[in-house]
Order: sequence, then C-alpha cells, then structure tokens
Amino acid sequence: MKTIIEPFRIKVVEPIRMTSREEREVVLRSADFNLFRLHADDVLIDLLTDSGTGAMSSLQWAGVMRGDESYAGARSWFVLEESVRALTGFEHILPTHQGRASERILFELVGGPGKVVPNNSHFDTTRANIEHSGARAVDLLVAEGRDPRSRAPFKGNMDVAALEGLIAEVGAGSIPLVMLTVTNNSGGGQPVSMENIRAVRAVCDRHDLPLFLDACRFAENAWFIKKREPGYGERPVAEIVREMFGLCDGATISAKKDGLVNIGGLLLVRNPELMRRADELLILTEGYLTYGGLAGRDLEAMAQGFREVVDEDYLHYRIRSTEYLGERLLRAGIQIVEPPGGHAVYIDAAAFAPHIAPAQFPGQALAVAMYREAGIRACEIGSVMFGKGGKPPMELVRLAIPRRVYTQSHIDYVIEALEMVFARRDRLRGMEIVEEPPSLRHFTARFREV
Amino acid sequence: MLQKRSWAEPWKVKMVEHLRMTTREERERAIAEAGFNTFLLPSQYVYIDLLTDSGTSAMSDTQWAGLLKGDEAYAGSMNFYHLEAAVRKFYGYKHLIPTHQGRGAEHILSHLCIKPGQVVPGNMYFTTTKAHQELAGGTFADVIVDEAHDPDVMHPFKGNVDIDKLKALIARVGEKNIAYLSLETNVNMAGGQPCSMANIKETCALCHRHGIRVFLDATRAVENAYFIKMREAGCADRSLAEILREICDQTDGCTMSAKKDALVNIGGFLAVNDDELAEQARNMVVIYEGLHTYGGLAGRDMEAMAIGIEESVQLDHMHSRVGQVEYLGEKLINAGIPIMRPIGGHGIFLNAARMLSHIPREEFPSQALAAALYVDSGVRAMERGAVSAGRDHDTGENLYPSLELVRLTIPRRVYTQAHMDVTAESVIALYENREKVVGLRFTYEPKHLRFFQARFEPVRGKQVFTG
Repeated sequence: MKTIIEPFRIKVVEPIRMTSREEREVVLRSADFNLFRLHADDVLIDLLTDSGTGAMSSLQWAGVMRGDESYAGARSWFVLEESVRALTGFEHILPTHQGRASERILFELVGGPGKVVPNNSHFDTTRANIEHSGARAVDLLVAEGRDPRSRAPFKGNMDVAALEGLIAEVGAGSIPLVMLTVTNNSGGGQPVSMENIRAVRAVCDRHDLPLFLDACRFAENAWFIKKREPGYGERPVAEIVREMFGLCDGATISAKKDGLVNIGGLLLVRNPELMRRADELLILTEGYLTYGGLAGRDLEAMAQGFREVVDEDYLHYRIRSTEYLGERLLRAGIQIVEPPGGHAVYIDAAAFAPHIAPAQFPGQALAVAMYREAGIRACEIGSVMFGKGGKPPMELVRLAIPRRVYTQSHIDYVIEALEMVFARRDRLRGMEIVEEPPSLRHFTARFREV
Repeated sequence: MLQKRSWAEPWKVKMVEHLRMTTREERERAIAEAGFNTFLLPSQYVYIDLLTDSGTSAMSDTQWAGLLKGDEAYAGSMNFYHLEAAVRKFYGYKHLIPTHQGRGAEHILSHLCIKPGQVVPGNMYFTTTKAHQELAGGTFADVIVDEAHDPDVMHPFKGNVDIDKLKALIARVGEKNIAYLSLETNVNMAGGQPCSMANIKETCALCHRHGIRVFLDATRAVENAYFIKMREAGCADRSLAEILREICDQTDGCTMSAKKDALVNIGGFLAVNDDELAEQARNMVVIYEGLHTYGGLAGRDMEAMAIGIEESVQLDHMHSRVGQVEYLGEKLINAGIPIMRPIGGHGIFLNAARMLSHIPREEFPSQALAAALYVDSGVRAMERGAVSAGRDHDTGENLYPSLELVRLTIPRRVYTQAHMDVTAESVIALYENREKVVGLRFTYEPKHLRFFQARFEPVRGKQVFTG
C-alpha cells in the first residue's frame, strides 16, 4: 500500500476557529508581530511547536484518571520508573516538570564560568541554560548540516574532528560533558547516526568525558537510523533506542515531544555522585524525587506515552506525514531544509524572500505573512532566535507538526496557503525589533514592519 | 448549613480511588525498608495518607471538565487568560506569572529580590522557602509572636508578626539590608495558625513606611481568611473573597502553591503589582519554568486552577474543610492527647515531645511517633520537629526547635468522617501504649532538607513500636 494511514482513530475533538483577515490584522498588531504573543484562540492551525501540543491516546487519558497524587512514593511514579528503565536501560531516573528543568539542574551542577559545552547544535533553552550558568555553548555540526540543499542522510551528526579540535584548544578539563541533540532541532530536525554517536563516544572515552543526549526526539531519531543506516533495517526501534541510550552517561528529555504528553520531563544520570547532587537540586526547585513537580496523573501519561512512541506503525505514520508536507512544498518551488526532518518542515526563508536582509528577519516576515494569509502559526528559527551576538547558520521558518493532532486536509490547507504567500513573495516586508529582553528574546520581543 | 455545628460536605462523591488494607507484619516490613521515614514509603502500603495536604486533594467534576478543556497551545493558551482573570479577581494582583508549583515561584522571587547578605524577615520559617532564601544569599529572621512557639497557649492569631521584633530588626540591620518581608498566612510550621487582619495591616504599613516590600506566601490565605471571619471583630459578615482581597491588597505580591487552597494536584504562581519586577520575572520564568503563558504547566492544569480558586472561597467549602480538621482535633483533645492549640486550618499537630516524653530530643520523638503511627494503623503522618529543622550552619549541631511535632495533614475533600475516626483511634491507642515506642538514630543523613530522604534505625531492637 502506498497510502499511509494513521494507526488510530479520533476519540475526542477540539473545535478550532476561523478568523477573518481583518481580525487577524488587528490581532497581529496587538501582538506586536510576535506570534508567541498571539492568543491561541485566534490561531487556526498551530504549527508553532510540537512540544506539549500532541494528542494523548485513550490509554494515556485512562492513566490520567488513574494518577496517584500521593506526595511521596506514588504508585504512578513506580509505573513511570519501570517504563523508562525498560526504554532506556537507565537505573536512576529523575522526573522534572519539563525538559528545561532537567537542563537547568544539569548545568547548574556541571556548568559555570570557564566551562565549554559542545553539542551538534544547542537548542534555544539549552543554550540559555548553559549561558545562564556562565559557561559557553559551542555548536559542532557537520558541514552538510548547514547546507539546506544537501540530501545527506544524517545531517544532524557532530563533526568529530571539530570536537577533537575543540578539546585540543580548550582542554578536556574545561569540558564538563559533550552533548548530542537527537534529532537536531535547530538544524532542521535532522537525525544523528548510530555510527556518529559511537564515534563521539570514542572521543569522549579517550578524554574521559561524559556523553549526554538531549533526547527529546529519540524515537524519531531511531526511526531514521532504522530506515537509513546500514545494518539497522531489521532491528526493532525499541532496540535501537536502547542502543542509543546505552552509549551515553546521561540524558535530558523533554517528554513533551516523544513522550507524547502535554507536560513532563526527565533527567537520566549514571554517575552516582552527580545523581546525588541532582537529587538535592530537584527537591529544592522542582519537587520531591517521586513526582518532580508533576501531578501523579502526568507520570502515568508519560509512562504510557513512552511505550506508545516506539510503536513502528506510529513512527511510520509520523515521519511519512512530515515528509508529505515537505515534498509538496518542494514541488511548489518552495525551498526547505532537505530532506524533510522528523517533527517539522523547515522553510528556507532566505531563499523564500531574498530581498529581505538577515538584519530585517526574513523568517519573521514569512511567519507573519502565513498568519496574516491563513491563520497559520509557525516559528522563526534564525536571526530572531539565535541572531543576538552572532550570525545563525540559516534563516528558517519551522512548521512543527504536533503529534496525532492534524489530518491530511489540515496539511493540504497549509500547503495551499504557502503557495499563495509564495506567489506574492516579493510583497513580504522586513521587520525590526522595537523592544527585547536580555535573553530568549524570540519569546517576548516586540516588532514592527519596516 | 453554616448555622449548624455539623460540617456536612457541600458535595457528594463522584469518583472513588481504591485503598489497600495492609497487615501489621507488612507495615513493619515496609517502615523498616523505608528507614523509618514516612517519606520513603511507597503509597501502596499507606492506608490513610496524611503526609501532606499539598497536591493531594480531590478535584470537583467542574475541575475535571476543565482538564478536558485544556488548550495545550505553547503560547497564548486560552486557559492562561482564564487563570489570569481568576487571580486578578480573587487575589487582586496586576501581573500573573504561572509556575509549575509554589517552589518555582519562590525560586524566582528569591533570585530577583534578595541581594547576598540581606535579611529576609518572616513569620516563622518554612523548609523550602528558607532554602531558597539561603540559596540567593539571604538570611531568614523569625519575627513571629512568641505565642507561636508555645503549643499550649490559646491565642486566636498565633501566626501574627511581632511588631516589636520587626521594629527591632529594622533598627538593628537597617531597612536597606532587608530584602523584603515574607508574610505567610496560616503559618504551616506553627500548626496552620492564622494572622489577623489588624496585624497584617500594621505589619505592612510598618514595612512600607521603611520602603520594605511585603510578599505574601498565599498558599493557605483562604483558610486564613476563614479564621479572620470567624474570630476577628467586625469581620463576621464579610465574605471570604472580600477578606482575601483585603489581605492581598496590603502586600506587593505573592507566591502561591495552588496545590493547597486552590484544590489542584499541580500548579502555582507568582503574582506582583510592580511592572518592572513582573517583566524581570517573565524573563526568568521562561528559562526555569516555561513560557510566561504556561509556566511549566499543561493548559489543562491552569484551567483546573482557575476553577479551583473560585471554589476555594466558597464559605460552605471552607466551613466543611476546617470543620473536618476540628472534628479530628476535638476527638484527640477529648482523649487527652497533647496537640498544638488552637486547632489549625489544614491539620492536627501532635505534640510529640509531650506524647513521648520518655524519648530524649536526640532520639527524635517526632520521627519515632510518625513511624509508630504507621505501624499501628497504616496512617502516614509527617515529622515536623528536629529532623525537619536540620543543623546549625555554623556549629553543625542539631537544631532543636521549641516545637517537636507530628503533622496529620488533611487533604481536601478526600477522606470521610470514618477515616478521621480510624485516625483518632490509632493515635489514642498509641498514646495508651506510648512507653512501647523506641527512639531513632540516623543511618543516613543528607546535607540539605534532610527530612525528605534521611534513614533511621531504632536505638534498641528492630522495631520502633514494640506494642
């Protein structure tokens, strides 16, 4: 069969609201052209992020009802612990309210002035947490990862030679750990190969450095390994996931992605001393060890989500539907980061609107136009998100696909809207920032059109 | 309903959760495996869980309906605006910054408002609040009235700030060296004791005269408002909502763990009036918690919180809530059990030092009592004495606070009158056999907030309760 169907049917629906063009014009102005400032109510199709926006299954909702809200030793905690142990092979698991709390705890413990943390590419909150601790965040992506036209299978890989170079330059002593983000979110949702994880592991071993995964989209990455890496075609995804985690000393996970939940995160650590210190910080800032700042019901939903996400019918549907959107945009002449990523399609905004200079945020201009035209909300990943104090590798607009939420006809509507914007692309206007906070400016900055 | 002495609940039961009965042998094994620390017990071995009232309440059908209405958009979720409207209406602060729970709000407030070396006065310490103040470089100074430290003295408002102590502190360290005053309503560590409206007004006026800001720990502010209505002259005819607003109006902002008064399992917030502080807090919440329109919560949790806030200020609800606590307390008093008086809002605090007077403070009578109570009946309580107080920063010696207590905390809308009867029977039986309870010593002692994870063993034999 060529047609890929969803391996589920719909059990509960949530109405969405059509708005008029006039309404959207008013709303855009009152949000100062920052789509993070829109009321979700005024958005028709929300592709801002795939984080926490997925639809849970009936089994997860049953878990929500089963949630044991005991403060200490809740049954729901032991259910989650067992699920994550089976998934990752890690013994010691800390629950957190979401991924950035795991990052904060980790970098409060190992970061600090003078420290350097390499990654294939740091995502926004990871970078913010590292820099907040006083450390330096360094991206060491392979060259093809920065070329939107390259069709290489593993564009999320780390440049291993560059890692060796960095270690030689700053010394292993100032690198508390090496990180790999799977899949690579800021670089187009591109996967990291098992071979690359092993190569980075070998460098880490030579210099006695711990390797951590930013494992938000571990299942999507494992699916790409199965499909693209020699020797993995017949291996079950669950086994590939175990192998990925088996190569690491720890991981931060936002369960709002591949955990298929609306809230929740994890920190996995092998080192007993680091683990003990993480426990103390967890209690102080998140919550007790057996709930970590989550309701018992959220622990249950997460446990079930981690079981569902390695289902291969699900992953097949998930990756194929993202690919569908990407292929249709390419066919319409719209350049995207190729090949399409796992959780999102990234439009090359610099190619879309070459008449807008990076300093006038072509990505932001495109995202605003998509909302204005069709009520679609997307996310700029370019000079607004990463441009402060440096030039980002690419000017992108991310169309992130929430898991199990939108149907093919929603996606067809998005394609049609983008075709319309593309036909009139020379009318797109650059933007400028009127007001911005000291860090993570993309969330709250105010813009105007130039 | 209110005219009657009965505290019949203004609701009926819609969904139940099964409990498992355990045998004494199972419980003896479970508590030994948990290092005689009730925090370390798996909940499946607990029959009646009175460890805390935090996040353990039953939500209403309206709140559950709210869960299904969760708008999980990352930015601008509809539920955020509902919550913002509820906080503005009932607490009255201008800016709302949601957080995943109360300690998230404390973390941000301490970080923004305390400079290293500054003093943070407050009406008695709370464990996590004090830890955050110290993490930010501040030092806590206790300015609660002396009566709060005496478990037997009857005073309607044992949570009050001692104005003279506060004046003396300001004179001694200087107003510039005071970060802010942390004002807790229904002071937890004092046994859930309220502050009077007159005292809140006087305290805030004094602080503001010196340019010192006041931040409310509003976690149990509605329970405090109920006591003001019941006990303070001129307040009997006012609604809880009016009293709550008046409390908040005196202050500059609040931290809130919504897991108590607001009847949810998860959630909290920071709310302030100052525009600049709000902007700084929003910039920080996005790093630590989540974007400022969700603060680390699912959309559904914000909806449940908005509804819970409205339910919490209903007089019938609060009458039955406090009525249930008083019912248990009076049963114990009538049986001659020494408890903290007057009876507080959220739990009964057993005077462990008096109940187990044969166990010296060095052998942690509160810890032993909580463990023994569990062995007797499967009731889980919490130590609130020397183990919670920790060690002196400078000398490293154990601190022995004047109150050596065991807290029986009552979750909201969860347990029935019969559950309260079982609890009372167990405490009374234990009291009658109190000489059979054995003291404890540490086998593992964590450095910070040791009560959560510490492990113990009996000073003699293998069990804490040999009855």
